[in-house]
Amino acid sequence: MNKLILSLPIILIFIISIFLLIFLLQNKDPNVPPSALLDKKIPPVNLVDLFNDNKLINLSNLKNKEILINFFASWCAPCKVEHPLLFQIKKQNPNLYILGINHKDKKHDAINYLNQDGNPYDFVGVDKKGLIGLEFGVFGLPETFLINKSGKIIYKYLGPLTKKVITNEIQHLL
Amino acid sequence: MKYSIFYKKSLFIYFYIILIFVITTISEASIESDIKNITSKLRCMTCQNQTIYSSDTEFSLSIKKIIRQKLKNNESEKEIMDFLINRYGEYIVLEPKFNKQNLFLWLFPFIILALSLVFFILRIRKNT
Amino acid sequence: MISLIGFSGLFFSFLLSILIFVIYFFQNKKYSEKILYYAIYSSFVCILISFFSLMFAYINSDFTNYNVFQNSHSSKPLLYKIAGTWSNHEGSMLLWLVIMIFYNFLFSFNKTLDNNLKKLTIFFQTLLYLCFSSYVLFASNPFLVNSIEMNEGLGLNPILQDPALAIHPPMLYFGYVGFSLILSLAIAGLILDKINTKWILVTKNWTLFCWSMLTGGIALGSYWAYYELGWGGWWFWDPVENVSLMPWIAGLALVHSLMLTQKEQLLKRWIVFLSILCFSLSIFGTFLVRSGILTSVHSFASDSSRGIFILILFLVITSFSFIVFIFKSTDSNKNLNLLFLNKTSTLVINNILMIVACITILLGTIYPIIIEVISNNRISVGAPYYNSTVLPILLPGFLLMSVAPALSWQTNKLPKLKSYLFSFILMSIITLLVSYFTFFNTWGFIGIFLSLSIIGASLISFYNNYNNYGLKKFIIYNNALIAHIGVGIMIMGITCSSVFQSESNLSFSINETKEVNGYIYKLEETKIYNKKNYQELVGVFKIYKNNKIITKVKPSKRYYNVSKMITTEVGIYRHWFQDFYIILGSENDNKWSVKIYQNPLVNFIWFGVVLMIISGLIGIRKK
Repeated sequence: MNKLILSLPIILIFIISIFLLIFLLQNKDPNVPPSALLDKKIPPVNLVDLFNDNKLINLSNLKNKEILINFFASWCAPCKVEHPLLFQIKKQNPNLYILGINHKDKKHDAINYLNQDGNPYDFVGVDKKGLIGLEFGVFGLPETFLINKSGKIIYKYLGPLTKKVITNEIQHLL
Repeated sequence: MKYSIFYKKSLFIYFYIILIFVITTISEASIESDIKNITSKLRCMTCQNQTIYSSDTEFSLSIKKIIRQKLKNNESEKEIMDFLINRYGEYIVLEPKFNKQNLFLWLFPFIILALSLVFFILRIRKNT
Repeated sequence: MISLIGFSGLFFSFLLSILIFVIYFFQNKKYSEKILYYAIYSSFVCILISFFSLMFAYINSDFTNYNVFQNSHSSKPLLYKIAGTWSNHEGSMLLWLVIMIFYNFLFSFNKTLDNNLKKLTIFFQTLLYLCFSSYVLFASNPFLVNSIEMNEGLGLNPILQDPALAIHPPMLYFGYVGFSLILSLAIAGLILDKINTKWILVTKNWTLFCWSMLTGGIALGSYWAYYELGWGGWWFWDPVENVSLMPWIAGLALVHSLMLTQKEQLLKRWIVFLSILCFSLSIFGTFLVRSGILTSVHSFASDSSRGIFILILFLVITSFSFIVFIFKSTDSNKNLNLLFLNKTSTLVINNILMIVACITILLGTIYPIIIEVISNNRISVGAPYYNSTVLPILLPGFLLMSVAPALSWQTNKLPKLKSYLFSFILMSIITLLVSYFTFFNTWGFIGIFLSLSIIGASLISFYNNYNNYGLKKFIIYNNALIAHIGVGIMIMGITCSSVFQSESNLSFSINETKEVNGYIYKLEETKIYNKKNYQELVGVFKIYKNNKIITKVKPSKRYYNVSKMITTEVGIYRHWFQDFYIILGSENDNKWSVKIYQNPLVNFIWFGVVLMIISGLIGIRKK
């Protein structure tokens, strides 16, 4: 009995170390928390078209499509870096609906940006005050979400997309 | 006979515990700043471990605005917290929720404290 | 060149330590002891050469050294170039090594212990040194050469360019790293079965010193956070702060327990356990901080291979120590004289409360990691959790602290009981009055009452001691009282500066005045200064009371040219009984948004801590 109590510290040390080792090996970024919206239905928000004030879509109406939502802004430098990759994704996945949401930006800056650098999006929504981003738990740009055919959010990526991320993570889910 | 020593000396402590409950009840009447209170319990998601209260980043400022609006609409603290948790995850709240997952976290300290004190009292009794 | 000298110093200290390790096994040879001691002295000299080479490289802004290149810049003021030596991961590990050998070196002059015990302690301390120096040599080398020729360095975070922050790591390490010697003493004592009065005396002295330094280091960090981070707070239950607090708590429990055994009451096993625990917590803390698995205001740049190496070190060192503990610790047959309430039992309660508090902090710090491994869900365990758990757990301890030094070892009678009861009642009344004239608040009431009780009861004990013993052996009889009064003052400071803090968000245009709590604040002017590595915009405020000027306060904003960062410098006027704390916000339309805090009694926190440190240091004795 005594020896058991005496061995407690070592047992605890081993258990804790195993958890820490597993955590370390998973290489998680402490600055990137897992999304709270995973496996939840896409928020039923309305989006006004960037290019046409009268055109509106409701996200819950986009049924039976795989959707990639990309939050971006004209003032966001990393967004410009990932921009060309969005065209690639579109090419590799012609059935994918790519939705861009212009977050906390000025309309004509965004329009100029897309005219200059090209528009890979099937639809660009306006999120001037950031309220749409709030519904998605966005706190930095760029952020990218993947939605499956049943309308559930299955993946979130924080930061500019890279070829590696696209091949290793996104393609698997599409 | 043995027990009365405990009771006499403990009486002292019971008096203070009661006094503190009384104070706490009276304290509800004091005024607190709601925004300071709520934002001190929230994590700034773009900072390295700071509260939204103490941070001036864009993210913190926009959350503060949203909370201010919600308080004007008479939403309760719980509603505001739940709103944020549904979007940002439990990570944004600095106080771990008291649910099944965190039961161990909240109870373990008090359980070991209680157990050690029980052992301690038993030893004293054995001694006297 | 300098990097080569530095690296050689490091490498030779490593080799010499291997020599010490090997020579231990040849104890019966004639010159083995001489070689042992000379090896210690020379390895100390070597590591000093190594450390000062790195410092020299920093002072000269030698960017051929990769570490200097990453962390320094030629425009940094000299003091911060020097402090830059240990303000980064590799450099601070080098400092860690210096201090580890330094303790071994100092300890080698010990005359109290048996020769065998002394040498075995040196042996284990050297073994620990070998572990950590191999980490530095193979995974954290500060002497890597920059492969590209660079004319300028990458600069340093301007927030870290600060005098308090410059001394904070060395002082902290004298505490943390010093606990390694305590571990070595414990293992050596266990193996030779020599945990006796001499061992206790020596361990007690070293523990007091390390613990006092650690207290100072932690306090410096808090003091810096208070004036630098800008919202009047000084403790955030940040993981890195928690990680320094755990060894501190274990050290405190150890210091108290060591006292217990000097009075014919033996708790050998517990003391040895605590001795091993302190350094185990230090290594664990180092792991948490440097592996990058926790988000903290204080994070070093990190990488996971670094983390794995330290985790392995932690596992190896602590498993070995606790295995020796399991097999070689013996308990004394004397029963503890536990009464309700005598000094022994309050010391036991102190230990229980400290260890439970320590476990709670540990649990809170690693719980998010455990949950994330199990369920991939990330939670936060922050200040609200610790305030609801650790603080209530410590409260009974604070209450007992008031009378504990006056209790007797043998009986459960408290001499002059009536005067203590009178003091408690008086303090309750005073606290109620204070609450009545300000406002009622639970923590406010508890904090003020506890602090007054501790101070009041300690003063009564002082008086009784003076009556009984005069000023003879003053320190021996009264040291505990000094420390406890320090704690009381600190609690008063903590309570009042948090509960009774006043915060005002105001906007000022030039020459405008506003009133806060009876004081008048006026923004006189704004000035711009050009300094060596930053530009500063200062808002000059004058504070008046009753139409008389009290002081000028100068909060400012700084723009650092190299890192292109803007920092906000708080303007503080420190007064004995409150701090006036002004933060300059942003300007709109010639109006400045300004935050003003008035923190009552905040300086009591620092006074209290200084008393605790003094008490720790004067407790070091020859007998």
